[in-house]
Amino acid sequence: MAYVVTDACIDVQDKSCIEECPVDCIYTGPRMMYINPEECVDCGRCEPACPTVSIYHEEDLPADREQFAAINETVFITLGIGSPGGARKIPPLAADHEEVASWTK
Amino acid sequence: MDEVTVDVLIIGAGPVGLYGAYYAGFRGMSVAVIDSLPEVGGQLAALYPEKNIYDVAGFPAVRGQALVDALLEQAQQSKPTFLLEQRATTIEIHDEGVTVGAVASTPGDPGVTVHAKAVLVAGGMGTFEPKELPAGGDFAGRGLRYFVPRLADLAGHDVVVVGGGDSAVDWALALEPLANSVALVHRRDAFRAHEKSVAQLQESSVELVTPFEVVEVHGGDAVERITLEHVESKEQHQRDVKTVVAAIGFLTDLGPMAEWGMDLKRRRILVDRTQKTNLPRVFAAGDIAMYEGKVALISVGFGEAATAINHIAPLVNTKWKTTPGHSSDAL
Repeated sequence: MAYVVTDACIDVQDKSCIEECPVDCIYTGPRMMYINPEECVDCGRCEPACPTVSIYHEEDLPADREQFAAINETVFITLGIGSPGGARKIPPLAADHEEVASWTK
Repeated sequence: MDEVTVDVLIIGAGPVGLYGAYYAGFRGMSVAVIDSLPEVGGQLAALYPEKNIYDVAGFPAVRGQALVDALLEQAQQSKPTFLLEQRATTIEIHDEGVTVGAVASTPGDPGVTVHAKAVLVAGGMGTFEPKELPAGGDFAGRGLRYFVPRLADLAGHDVVVVGGGDSAVDWALALEPLANSVALVHRRDAFRAHEKSVAQLQESSVELVTPFEVVEVHGGDAVERITLEHVESKEQHQRDVKTVVAAIGFLTDLGPMAEWGMDLKRRRILVDRTQKTNLPRVFAAGDIAMYEGKVALISVGFGEAATAINHIAPLVNTKWKTTPGHSSDAL
């Protein structure tokens, strides 16, 4: 289980979540933030910190946002990043998940 | 180095560790509690002291610090030895017990060695470390600081506080009456702090510098000046300052415990139904303990602590049973 970033973050990327996250598991993509489900410890501090209300617990995702659980997960696989143990340890993500990259707001 | 000998050592003085300490005394054990923070209460005291908690049995709602105070009062009945500002770093397991070595966070304090029959790890999310200010260079301790244990140390200083959450706002407000000047730098216009504190902030003489980031810290032996950059326009200006207090969040880390050989999954310690880890005489309870179907709630943590201590009992004294009988009969 993990928290999940959804489309309200796209092109906003306020990053207050990063300050709240105690395990540094929120990564910056070109258009959206992504929570690494391998590293998230379910503490829930990011959710109320987000001014655009884009973060949900996986189990509380609105029905029309359920695809974002997979989006947050697969971006770390397709980019070959896996679980580096903290966003500070690597440069920002080079690309977004393809669905996010082509998202029209 | 100090030596302490007890029946059970509890690592972590959060709610689960405190309850475990009480319960160990209830089962007739001597107990020590070790924590890297200077105060008991763990996450409750450090992160949520003013928040109400709604999942503790018997309390429709209880404030974080009030729960910590009650847990401490309950734990004191067991006369625990508190070893605060000490970080458990090494472990040796023998046939008859466990030896844990701890390093003190205060320079000059030689640390402590604890001999116990068993260890209960109730370390929550691990130890808390402040996130480093990216532009801070090597100025930490020379004008750049992450904690303000004695506000009076900054009397008469020109202070810049960095951050947008509760601790940044609280520190800015606390320093305002005694510092020469206080500026609060945050990378966005809105603050994430408690509404009441934000209202106080707006009425105070604290200068709000938003949306700006500290991009460089200048000085010789100590901080003298910082460069601030507007988040959108990227325009920069400099500001003379003697003290920078960075309050941009915490990182948690299992720290040296991660190297003890315990089976881990996603920074949690894997335990069986008795809360035992894969290491002999080492148990875990609370947020740090993980098993199939785990629900990380404070109420679950209390139950896990009781389960662990009861299963530790026969390791402390072979005549003791796991099942304690009903507590109402014992007293």
